[in-house]
Amino acid sequence: MVSMQTSSGPSDAQHGLVSRRSVLRAALLSSAFIAAPALLAACAPPTTTVATNKIFRVGWKSDIDTLNPLTTVTTEAVEVQSLIYDTLMAYGLDLKPEPSLAASTVAAGATITYTLRDGVTWHDGTAFTSDDVVYTFDLIAKNSLGVNAQYFSDYVSAAAPDAKTVVVTFKRPQAFDPGLVVPIMPKHIWSSQSVDQIQKAANDKPIGTGPFTFKERKQGQSVSVTRNEKWWGDKPAAAGASWTVYTNDDLMAQALKNGEIDIIPQVPPTVFTGLQGETTLTSESLDSFSFHHIGINLSQVPGSKGNPLLLDKGVRQALGYALDRKQIAEIAYAGFASPGGSILTPSLGDFYYEPTGDAVIDNNPEKANALLDAAGYTAKDGDGIRQTKDGKPLAFRIIAISTTSTDVRTAQLFQATAAKVGIKLDFATVDSDTMASTVYNVEAPDWDIFVWGWDSGVNDPCYLLGVPLTSQIGGNNDVFYSNPAYDALYDQQATELDHAKRVAIVMQMQQMFYEDCGYLVAVYIKKLQSYGNAGWANLTAVPGGIIFNFTRDNYLKATPAGS
Amino acid sequence: MPPLLRRVLVLCASIFAVLTFNFFLFHIIPGDPIRLIARSQRLDPEAVARLRTTYGLDGSLPEQYGKYLSNLAHGDLGYSFSLHENVADIVGRALLNTLILLTVSTLIVVIVGIAIGVFAGSRQGTRSDSTTVVTSLVFWSLPTFWVGMLLVFIFGVWIGGLPISGITTPNAVYGNWFQYISDIGRHLILPTLTLAIVDIAFFVIITRTSLLEVMGEDYMLTARGKGLSRRTMVWKHATRNALLPVVTASVLYISALVAGAIQVEVVFSWPGMGLLMYNSVMARDYPTLEACFLLTSVAVLVANFCADLIYRRLDPRVTVGT
Repeated sequence: MVSMQTSSGPSDAQHGLVSRRSVLRAALLSSAFIAAPALLAACAPPTTTVATNKIFRVGWKSDIDTLNPLTTVTTEAVEVQSLIYDTLMAYGLDLKPEPSLAASTVAAGATITYTLRDGVTWHDGTAFTSDDVVYTFDLIAKNSLGVNAQYFSDYVSAAAPDAKTVVVTFKRPQAFDPGLVVPIMPKHIWSSQSVDQIQKAANDKPIGTGPFTFKERKQGQSVSVTRNEKWWGDKPAAAGASWTVYTNDDLMAQALKNGEIDIIPQVPPTVFTGLQGETTLTSESLDSFSFHHIGINLSQVPGSKGNPLLLDKGVRQALGYALDRKQIAEIAYAGFASPGGSILTPSLGDFYYEPTGDAVIDNNPEKANALLDAAGYTAKDGDGIRQTKDGKPLAFRIIAISTTSTDVRTAQLFQATAAKVGIKLDFATVDSDTMASTVYNVEAPDWDIFVWGWDSGVNDPCYLLGVPLTSQIGGNNDVFYSNPAYDALYDQQATELDHAKRVAIVMQMQQMFYEDCGYLVAVYIKKLQSYGNAGWANLTAVPGGIIFNFTRDNYLKATPAGS
Repeated sequence: MPPLLRRVLVLCASIFAVLTFNFFLFHIIPGDPIRLIARSQRLDPEAVARLRTTYGLDGSLPEQYGKYLSNLAHGDLGYSFSLHENVADIVGRALLNTLILLTVSTLIVVIVGIAIGVFAGSRQGTRSDSTTVVTSLVFWSLPTFWVGMLLVFIFGVWIGGLPISGITTPNAVYGNWFQYISDIGRHLILPTLTLAIVDIAFFVIITRTSLLEVMGEDYMLTARGKGLSRRTMVWKHATRNALLPVVTASVLYISALVAGAIQVEVVFSWPGMGLLMYNSVMARDYPTLEACFLLTSVAVLVANFCADLIYRRLDPRVTVGT
């Protein structure tokens, strides 16, 4: 069995105040791709850029949390670090794996062998060797350090038979190559520090092997990097990149119009509508790998304080029929989201399951009423709220994070449509810490329904499908869904090398989970990005974003506009 | 016990009470920050335990409190949840930026405020006096953030030309120190102007009221009887005495500003204490908030203490310890 080795995080508000999600610039190789021995030839793309003195300037709402790759959890920091540090493998503009520090990779059974690229040096001039890779892998795996530690649960050892080769051994074949996500760190700089020191290190002068060297950070304001003239790859046209924090969306939009910044990777819907009309800007509404959902407490532990009526699949399906996803996409998200359904996002291509015909559980009050009537839940005492035969009302608590206005609006809209079928939802907002400690209280979950989200961050179904696994109760499984048939299918697809067969299993899993209504996936969120036409050209719009995506290639391949 | 020593002891006791309150305030808030940090990372229990230790959240509440006090004694303000760095370093940088804004704006606000206050007070009942008072009251009642946003709109969108965000220009390359300082100076203009528009009025009103009181004193009549010029009377005799309450107000004003002019810093993205506190609240970064609150409380306590001492020196009728 191929163990589940995926990356990603919970999707937070689009407002980017604090990125609660662990936003990993990672992606999965498909099982078929890597479980079989695979050789990726080092083939550098043709040079298309000419080095210029122009800076690639980004504006965003949140500052990076840290420059230390072993403690960071924010998208912003991972974005900056991805230009300073290299990984062994990297994602291209097609979101497919390409060689990076490793010129080639061979996966055979439970080992992965990386042959490293020649002539790579650290930003301080020291030569990069296989010892650096072994050090980095060991450090993360043996100390469970940082967001990438999750890819090392089957890690056994890494060895460097020579300066250009690294052999990594796992307990079993790996569907996911950690080489895609782990920034390789310089042994000569970090090895003198203790784990405790490393965990507290600000790393304010990061040294990597990446295409850009660190220039400066002004906390709360900006970060900037400069082109690494000695980088092993094709030199980017940009002389550097900078990311400036704006506390106000309108100011940031104004700065884009004035040409003070070149691109905004996360434009709020209200501002985006205004920017779409500007002829000097290009505004893209792109598919993302995020959804927001309504989660239903399915815990059956003795301490659970969730309403037991929700364990009735009929009640959950009735809730699903009461939910008007189109209305939520249009009102709560101002149209910048598409109605949800399956646990996988449409951006995952042929893996995505779209229910049709009678299978659709959405915006159908008649069907909700019929289901509830048939099950004997009727409204008796004139308040319009249905009750069980012994008088228990169909009344549930629903919670959402107060600062995530889209979730709050979703809950309110859901409250209104549920009331129409005789289900009462009592809505309360909580802060994010309380949400986490309430929802993830495995022994005694004291909640009924929540609104929250997930962000896959990987171009493979493994991560999102893995959320509701029984083995993830206490981990990512936030609704305590447990279905042995689903779990078995998960293991099957993780080892299925034939793409078509894997797709079929993945479809079956999605269908199963959709029908069980543990999650009511409300919307798939769009990623809204705008850039100035006078700034940079040759930017490729890819699902997940031009920048702020698994791939850093748009930074590297952008050319000055008009050149 | 000498009165001064008693004062110092009271000050220390107050600071201790504040930091104890501060600690418990943030530790009894419901929610588990570690659970949130660990969401989706699939950490093993050992790694979660280490996270708790790193953030000082292991052990019972009294244990954590003991550790907090001992760390504090060593100058360790904790480790930030959101910025993954020692809080002392973060707060140090923010405080420096706030002090730059604070020094410039306080000087302008206090000096201009006193000058206008004396101008109005010495012309009691005239049209210029009533105009000054009404204008001051109007400006004083304006919400600071609104004035800031108005200035951003005027200078950022309409007219342009003045920086509206940050402390320096992003990506700027400086040829020398002068260019660097003048860049900061340009960024200071709008935040300072915002503070000045709203806060000058406070000093105008205080100075004017205090001056009017002094002008009614008998010795002012004597001064007039001696045939002193109006200018000498107002500036040499009245103003100096009228400044006593202004001194107290100034010291307290400075102490309040150590918290950063929160609204101004947020509107103009000025990376000082105010913006840090705002961001920390948004990120629920308790260690940083704890440190910010501690610093601002101590600043107020110490400023009060200093105000007492200064007042006593300026006015010997007031004795410490009475």
